[in-house]
Amino acid sequence: MFNKFIVAVSVASAISLHGQALNHKIDFPKDSPVSLLSEDFGNSNATARGANLIDVNAALSLRNSGQKRIRSMTLMVSTPDAAGKGSVSVPTLDAGPGETFSVHISTRLVRPLTAGNPVVEVTLDGVLFDDLSFYGPDLLHSQRNMIRWELEAQRDRKYFKTLLAAGGPEGLRKEMLSSLARQGDSSQRGVQMVRGRATNIDAEPESQFAFLDIPESPVEASGGMARIGTNLAGAPRFEVRNRSPRAVQHLEISWIVKDQQGREFLAASMPADMKLAPNQSGQVAQDAALRFDRPISIQGMSGFVSSVEFADGSQWIPSRGALDQTRLRQLVAPSPEEQRLSQIYTRKGIQALIDELKKF
Amino acid sequence: MSRHVMETDLALYAAGDLPVWRGAVVKFHVRGCAECRALVEALRVDRQELRRSADNMPANVDWDQLAAEMTANIRVGLAAGECVTPRERKIAAVSWRPMAIAAGLVVLLAGAWWLNVPRTDTETIGRALRNIATGQRAASPQEERGPVVGASSTGVELIENGGRMGIDQGGLEPVMFSVSTQGSASARYVDQNTGQVTITATYVQ
Repeated sequence: MFNKFIVAVSVASAISLHGQALNHKIDFPKDSPVSLLSEDFGNSNATARGANLIDVNAALSLRNSGQKRIRSMTLMVSTPDAAGKGSVSVPTLDAGPGETFSVHISTRLVRPLTAGNPVVEVTLDGVLFDDLSFYGPDLLHSQRNMIRWELEAQRDRKYFKTLLAAGGPEGLRKEMLSSLARQGDSSQRGVQMVRGRATNIDAEPESQFAFLDIPESPVEASGGMARIGTNLAGAPRFEVRNRSPRAVQHLEISWIVKDQQGREFLAASMPADMKLAPNQSGQVAQDAALRFDRPISIQGMSGFVSSVEFADGSQWIPSRGALDQTRLRQLVAPSPEEQRLSQIYTRKGIQALIDELKKF
Repeated sequence: MSRHVMETDLALYAAGDLPVWRGAVVKFHVRGCAECRALVEALRVDRQELRRSADNMPANVDWDQLAAEMTANIRVGLAAGECVTPRERKIAAVSWRPMAIAAGLVVLLAGAWWLNVPRTDTETIGRALRNIATGQRAASPQEERGPVVGASSTGVELIENGGRMGIDQGGLEPVMFSVSTQGSASARYVDQNTGQVTITATYVQ
């Protein structure tokens, strides 16, 4: 009797843990400038373990079927009933008409057990072209990020070209080595962002929030306050003033935290949708808290304006000159394009990098 | 005669219950021993007295009931004795079968938990139990109520309404990651072979 019982349990476990083949749906609009050449969901599967564990491992081969050069693309990954949405972006593309490129998706989703087979949907959220025009539903507001990545790419490529012209290959090599050293030195901490009135942060004491002023920034931030608790910082609020002649509709502040050893690191970004006419001031208060994955005694906080979007959709980002401030240089991560270029230098050498810079 | 016959043999002799050979030996001794002969006579008188007493018993005695009452009285006496005498602790014999059944049940429960309870719930329960054990305030359970996005060297993750979405890039370690107060987390990867940069993100709905 007992042996039969054990066998029944083992069989039930084996049936439960057997990975089901995953149903997937790739849905690009008919007029999409990107078309699907091939797909490989080979290692994707769904396993029932209290909830559906869905492992998506897919490689998509895509082609630019439009008339413009594609600079970046964002795909949205979702499944019915699953929490939130996910995205996979390729920010440093340079795919001309008819050219192909690939995107790899590696995602794990957990969704409640429901009737029917789990389905994963991959849809196009947006494509950015070299003239900064955009195609896509932009459900994830990816257009703003993609424009910023492209502006950063243009800024950095121009900077490296200038260095090459002024200092030759040796000047470019020196800057690449400096960039690689900064990338290796960057210290980051695992962090969680808890939204809404879900924390006890209101009971924690409030501390002042210093801002690094970037003179060229169209928006000035000041009067920052935030609450600091054990391994926790939250409820940030600050004042902003539009000191440019153009109307602003969105801005982003980078939030820097200093630990007990005096080390500073970028903890989070604080985006805010707010309309500011020229010379108009406003207040930003965010109902969220940062929680660190390792014990930290927060000794201080600061921030700086990292991007501004004007009413016409154009954006301001800090120049290379502004980022050369010693503090910002250590804190601000290199752009995706700078990382791609430094990777080319590392793998193929200075001549391959020069050839790449000459492309556009 | 230097040695007397045992008293039990004399009692059996008086009742005529000794075997023939033994009875002859005792009879020979009793003839020559005044002390033993007196004892045999006394035993015979007692037997006759008992027989007379039995003849005086009521005619309709229920012997079975009498036996039951005597048995009950003996048990009551034994129980009373147990109450006043310190008891020795009995060690139960250990049998492998109940142990095997208990171990099987433990395996079954653990398996059922593993199969049916999502890891997030297990972590939440574990955290709550740790808080109870260490006497920490109940901040953590409250914090779990809202949607949480996280970014670390293992990728990005969103936890909301008991569901979870994690995105990595096939074992690659991100070169940078960040979270935003609007409820998103992102991580940036660089493919060492192709140099292609990929950015993954999760968003609170």
